[in-house]
Amino acid sequence: MSIAMAERAKLEALRARFGAAIRRADLPGNGRMFVTVDPAAIREICRHVFREMGARYVISIGADDRPFSGEFLVAHNFAFDGDGVLCGLLAHLPGDRPALDSISDVVPAANWAEREFRDLVGIEPMGHRYPKRLVLPDGWPEGVHPLRKDVSWDDVPKDFDEDLEFKFDEAPDGCVVVPFGPFHPTLDEPAHFRLYVEGEMVRGCEYRGFMAHRGIEKLAESVLSYNDIPMMAERICGICGCVHSVAYVQAVEDAAGVRVPERAEYIRTIMLEMERLHSHLLWVGLACHIVGFDTLFMQSFRIREPIMWMAERMTGNRKTYALCLVGGVRWDIAPETGAALRGVLDTLEKEWRGVVDAVTGDRNIQARTRGVGVAGPDLVKDVGLVGPVARASGVAIDCRRDHPYAAYGRVAFEVITERGGDVWSRIVVRMKEVFESIGIIRQCLDKMSPGPIQARVDDELPVGRMGLSSVEAPRGEAHHFLVTGEGNRPRRWRVRAPTYQNLQGVPAMIRDQQLADMTIALGSIDPCFSCTDRMETVDVRSGLRRTWTQEDLVRLLKKGGA
Amino acid sequence: MSLLSKVKEALVCLRAGRVTLPYPAAPRPVAGNFRGRPIFDAAKCIGCGGCAANCPAREILIHDVCQEIRVLRYVGRRCTYCGRCADVCPEKAITMSTDFETATDAIGDIGQTIELFMSTCQRCGRCFKEPSPLERLKQKGYRFDDLAHDRWVFGSRAYLDTERAVDDIRIEMD
Ligand code: SF4
Ligand code: SF4
Repeated sequence: MSIAMAERAKLEALRARFGAAIRRADLPGNGRMFVTVDPAAIREICRHVFREMGARYVISIGADDRPFSGEFLVAHNFAFDGDGVLCGLLAHLPGDRPALDSISDVVPAANWAEREFRDLVGIEPMGHRYPKRLVLPDGWPEGVHPLRKDVSWDDVPKDFDEDLEFKFDEAPDGCVVVPFGPFHPTLDEPAHFRLYVEGEMVRGCEYRGFMAHRGIEKLAESVLSYNDIPMMAERICGICGCVHSVAYVQAVEDAAGVRVPERAEYIRTIMLEMERLHSHLLWVGLACHIVGFDTLFMQSFRIREPIMWMAERMTGNRKTYALCLVGGVRWDIAPETGAALRGVLDTLEKEWRGVVDAVTGDRNIQARTRGVGVAGPDLVKDVGLVGPVARASGVAIDCRRDHPYAAYGRVAFEVITERGGDVWSRIVVRMKEVFESIGIIRQCLDKMSPGPIQARVDDELPVGRMGLSSVEAPRGEAHHFLVTGEGNRPRRWRVRAPTYQNLQGVPAMIRDQQLADMTIALGSIDPCFSCTDRMETVDVRSGLRRTWTQEDLVRLLKKGGA
Repeated sequence: MSLLSKVKEALVCLRAGRVTLPYPAAPRPVAGNFRGRPIFDAAKCIGCGGCAANCPAREILIHDVCQEIRVLRYVGRRCTYCGRCADVCPEKAITMSTDFETATDAIGDIGQTIELFMSTCQRCGRCFKEPSPLERLKQKGYRFDDLAHDRWVFGSRAYLDTERAVDDIRIEMD
């Protein structure tokens, strides 16, 4: 069935079931569906799409559209992976009463996204079971929603109490609280888990993150312009930056109908796979480091280094490639560089085979990782887990195959899956994916022909169009939603990094596990947090708790230590 | 089985040998197209403001002192070495050098300031030929970025006022 037919069939099915509640539909015929629905029916429609029609939940977006239509907008995005269709279910809400039914009881994966638009846009998900703040700190005043258009990008409300402590939930009976993070030796980035522990067993946890939300979306919507954003999108993640830059430009291109030259698509594909290579090698190294196997940690990093050097030669930088612009790429790959790249891949393949061969037989690593942090297919579905975490549970989803973008439709590769659903399976999936990536780059080098690398953009981009783009990052699907806007910049741009969904699965993965396994279970989703500004220390001798604020820390630093 | 894998792991390490580089004792050359610190050539720059309009980090400031003198300052603190300024410069006045060892305790070290003598017709900003509508000048006319605080001012004017626009980030757009 062609994609266009699949789209129409889905729409017919929705119309047949919900009749007039389906108000409008826009099927551009490229694997995208935008269906405007009656807000009163949103919960039932989402349930139907998620449970009956088998769609995967991607993300929910809230947008302030009042300056343009006088309304608020909510989009619940779903993916029909088997049919290659990404679908946005849109609801328009009156400007003076932005509220709609929460879908998180029927689609548990929407838990965070709904809390996020409640915080940032002020749209109330009615009936949400856990409407606690997610992004905004507890000291932020009620009623100020940073992503609303009438709030300027540099506004800080006067009554914002930066030092107010988070209010945490009560631990369940019989459990003690073990704070894990924001800084922890095995966490490279800040996130705070309050683990409820009974003896050695973890019974549950509360998560607080978003400690230094960087407001990238707000900046893009009010300060930057279309071609500035790729450079900043790249800085969303310290490892898979190119993913976000590609996902962003693809969302713009999708919305505005810009066609990218073929050679540029190959170059994007090559750089995305380079990124996957260095990310997976880094992760295998870190996983070994977390379980205390530093030898392999060192070797992974050694094998990884030539990839970084190669990336520097291809794009001018090891990591921040500054590759994409709307309509193409900035750096071409010269024939000599291509030849050198092949050489690097050959060595990498040989060396990595040696490592994989050694590790697969290593019982110590297996003893430490088998049966740990298990996520079954049901959890994958309910929480919307993506990437190697989903594939390690036997759920074969991979945007490169399911929603082909760039040149992925023109190369052959295998989607690696495992059955165990545990940390070990995730290690195996990632180790094998390295070989697939090498294969993809080789095919791209074979197939790409000379030509332009940047499309001509002669007119200003049309206003008010929507675009979706899913890119398979090393950690799973990165999804960008974009509405084009006035003044050479988007009206709304929403980024959903893979960790956003995967982190929501962590509480279930660590439940009833040993406390000591927490680090590797968390590490196994390859989490990607952001920066933070405070920490908590407990003096073990006196039992005194002391919370260090940002000011204390700065003072301490200036003094040169306590 | 496990013992065998330990032997294999040991072999992986032994074969690798020593890989640590003697950097910084011995310099380590970078790739030819490496993007380091941008260098501005005052002799070539015509003060069109294209680089300032397209710097994603907003690290290039422009301040019109009077009709004839325009100051261009590259601040360089947040510069990401993306090279967009060099891309869009119509006069090729910016070169991305291979200089990456820019750590300093005096932040002014990396900055560059150019004073440009402008002829009158160039005020409209038309001398910047944008590669596509996506790169067009955001602020046409006279610009008054805050050089004292190294800050971009979001606004420009069609006329040159004697009052400076310092500390005023919401002056009227023309
Ligand atoms: S290199 Fe990039 S960030 Fe630096 S000044 Fe030029 S455009 Fe701005
Ligand atoms: S774009 Fe080039 S010519 Fe124009 S102001 Fe910048 S450096 Fe000068």
